[in-house]
Amino acid sequence: MVNHRLVTTIAAKEVRGLASEKTIILAMLLQLFIAMFSSFLMVGLSAMYDPSVYGRISGVQYGIGFAGNDTILFDLFSRDPSFVPYRMDPGVALGALKERQLAAVVWPSETLPDDEDPVTVTLYTISNDIQSTVIEVKIKDILLGYEKLLRETRKERLDFSPVTVTPSRPVAQNSFYEFIYGLLIPMLLFMPAVISAGLVIDLITEEYQEQTIDTLRSTPATLEDIVCGKILACILIIPVQVALWLVLLTINGIRIASLVEILLHVVFTSTVLILIAATIAVYYRDRTKAQFIFSTAVIIVLLLILALPSNPVNLIVLLAVGGAPLYHWAVIAASLAGCAILVILVRNVIRRVEYS
Amino acid sequence: MGALSQLLTIATWEIRRFKGNMTRDLLPVAVVLLILLVSVSGFIAQKGIHIQDGMYRIGVDNPVYMDIIGGDPRYVVYSLPSDISDIRSLGLDLAIRAGSLLRTNGDKGAAAQKSFERDYQAYQDHIYRQQTDLFAAYPVWIKSEYIVSELDFLATQSGQHLAAPRQAYLTPPEPENIVTDAIPPSRISQAEMEDLRIQLEEEAARGSDQLGRYTDLLSQQEALGELKIPSMLSPPLPFDTIIFIFVFIFPLYFTSQFFMMSIMDERTLRQGEALIASPVSPLILVLGKMLPYACGMILIAAAILFTVNADIMAILPLVPVILFFLSFALFIGMVSRSYKELSFISIFFSTIATSYLFFPSIFANVHIVSLLSPVTLVVHVLDGTGYTPADYVYSTALFYLTSLVLFGICIRNFHEEQLFTEKGLFETLALYLGALVSTRYWYLSLILISVMTIPFVFMAQMMYLVLFFNLPMPFSLILIMVLAAMTEELVKAAGFIGLISHRYPPLTWKVVIFSSILIGLGFLLGEKLLLFITLSQIADSIFGAALFLSIGLLWIPFLLHAGTAFCTGAILKIRGKNALPVGIAIATIVHTLYNLYMLRGWVW
Repeated sequence: MVNHRLVTTIAAKEVRGLASEKTIILAMLLQLFIAMFSSFLMVGLSAMYDPSVYGRISGVQYGIGFAGNDTILFDLFSRDPSFVPYRMDPGVALGALKERQLAAVVWPSETLPDDEDPVTVTLYTISNDIQSTVIEVKIKDILLGYEKLLRETRKERLDFSPVTVTPSRPVAQNSFYEFIYGLLIPMLLFMPAVISAGLVIDLITEEYQEQTIDTLRSTPATLEDIVCGKILACILIIPVQVALWLVLLTINGIRIASLVEILLHVVFTSTVLILIAATIAVYYRDRTKAQFIFSTAVIIVLLLILALPSNPVNLIVLLAVGGAPLYHWAVIAASLAGCAILVILVRNVIRRVEYS
Repeated sequence: MGALSQLLTIATWEIRRFKGNMTRDLLPVAVVLLILLVSVSGFIAQKGIHIQDGMYRIGVDNPVYMDIIGGDPRYVVYSLPSDISDIRSLGLDLAIRAGSLLRTNGDKGAAAQKSFERDYQAYQDHIYRQQTDLFAAYPVWIKSEYIVSELDFLATQSGQHLAAPRQAYLTPPEPENIVTDAIPPSRISQAEMEDLRIQLEEEAARGSDQLGRYTDLLSQQEALGELKIPSMLSPPLPFDTIIFIFVFIFPLYFTSQFFMMSIMDERTLRQGEALIASPVSPLILVLGKMLPYACGMILIAAAILFTVNADIMAILPLVPVILFFLSFALFIGMVSRSYKELSFISIFFSTIATSYLFFPSIFANVHIVSLLSPVTLVVHVLDGTGYTPADYVYSTALFYLTSLVLFGICIRNFHEEQLFTEKGLFETLALYLGALVSTRYWYLSLILISVMTIPFVFMAQMMYLVLFFNLPMPFSLILIMVLAAMTEELVKAAGFIGLISHRYPPLTWKVVIFSSILIGLGFLLGEKLLLFITLSQIADSIFGAALFLSIGLLWIPFLLHAGTAFCTGAILKIRGKNALPVGIAIATIVHTLYNLYMLRGWVW
């Protein structure tokens, strides 16, 4: 059995070491950086991909050069408050576009609405320009409306029609809800797990490679105590880092339901990773080898977990959006069982190493 | 000749060391893991990734709607009782009742509706694609043409617009030049219908199958033809390029870790002492140790390109990335005191480097900023566009320069005293800077240190540009300005730190003033040189103006740089080393005020 006092002493020493070497602070700075990045990226991307956001900020009105004689499309453009179409000669319009006096030039073909052939529209925009992207998104909406009108005119020629579902109210904007809750949150919450697992390898192999393990072993602490202390230290910093994430996300205006359950899932899944890492580290006693084997192993384990339905990552997503099935407790229990099996494995490896 | 054979000897030793590390107990396990990895990848390709399963709940009153939702695992489907009015009470996010889609209030309901609309669009397209008369289902086809509009920095002064005017006038604009060769839109004939149908099918398959889309992306599948239907007229998904990062950048980064460990191993227990004591110059030592890893990384990159059938030209943009990783690996391996410090610094570095590589490239095909990342060039090679030599210089110059400078600093410090120091990161850095100062020609060293820091400053500033350039104005401009000023002041302090760390000449007032002038001079010199080589394109935009204000008159920016350097130096002189942050803060404020004054016409 392990000596609890010794284990906690070692764990406390490692945590202190992390704080004094400022490495943990570096890790937290990194979190801050990523959080900043993702929040700014959100603002940037939503401005780019959702014209309504952009339009609200700037209240812009774009001039559009309109060539050709089509009237339906021209009307659609004039009805949109963000565009002012001008009927222009194509050459003049393109010249104006080149001098950036227009935002885009639209030139539909002279095809009748109920023609056999489709209408072709040439859309000229300025290349390599962020504004063009925004304009293109806005023009897309108008062209979709145009397509719908023409489709209606030609509906007799369709063989069969899709089931219709009409939204009772439109969605205002393209939120990044799915990206945030379905990808970002689980990814961020598992980052501390991977960091801690890498850390336990460093802490264990360091003692061997700096040859300090012999000094440590001359104390009453057994190898098992030492390794357990290090594992404990790595597990202890996980809630701290996860809590920091949750705070940062909340500051970013992302509300997360069921915090406690999420924390439990993250801690137990991380413990599995940390125990795997510790086993590898004790076995190889060399950082390069252990890190190499562990990084490959961790990819395998994570892929395997993700391929299973109702995996902890999926459950964290469901918990965060506030609608997890009750059996997530069973998955926590399964993670715990996994930890128990790994604890036995780690102890066996330690015993083998200790007496070889 | 002697140097070359020394180099090869060191490289051979390194390979032997690596082999000794890797075989015996590691190889069998690695092989097993590799087999496991392949089988797990196969498994996941079959089963799919289950992250968002069951995120939304939808109620339907008719099983016919299952055609729309189909196999989308994000939805848990409930059948709706006929007499229900409040869908929230059932815990649903969406409900379809008699052909009308209802949603609950809030973000989740909106997101659920958005996802449903995407599914509905896919379903609708699926039905429309099967119509005999495709042109009745898709009556509008669009051809996008891009007009190149060159802008130079003087554009605003000559009255030209940087962007299309934000308020349109009632009368159409009258351009100075008229384009004469405009071609009217060509009609599509019935004969082309089947080709277009196949094109739509391919596009749909690309959209629905995530993994398939990525493999297509890599295997140079002919993307959309020239003609698109309106719903396809959207900018490409920004998260596609992340796959390139995974495929190209991570293996390279991973290999550089071995180099980092090799350097670190020389330092643990002073194992490398014999090597350093040998009559081989540090340059040969470092290059020799690095050579096997550099070759390995190039081979890996070539192998990946070969497997995805890409043009081998795509390797050229990856070369500076390889050098960049190796130089940072060398630096981190040399400064870390312990394994955990090594891990944390390298994780920190890799995240920032990956963001730097990734974030600009999501704007590939959209904006000139995307070219900041060499990965964009890889994307261009893969999608068949290719790149020009100018593009190459533009996007890789900073990577080459920063790696070279870092190699220089590290090789200069590859000595016993610096390698086996037990000092912290910042003190080690100060020590390294101190080693760069020559006792006799310390003034020249100061200029050199300032010139050297320029690529790093530019890289940081590029990062700010990428981060903030699409925030609303003037917020973005001010933020970029403050951060840019802070970075410049931070690196200008490097000269003073070097002086203090070198302990000669002592920091008298005369030295402070003289150094400020030298640092300002060096900084300006480096800035102009680098601007000259690369960044004319960025400098065109107003953001460029915010970053590199000092393009016009030379003596004003010189006074600014020397003056702010003096602020830092004076604080260091009065309050000592620990007051450095205060000095930098004051210098930043002065610098920002100057920038604000210069930009006053744009900001307000």
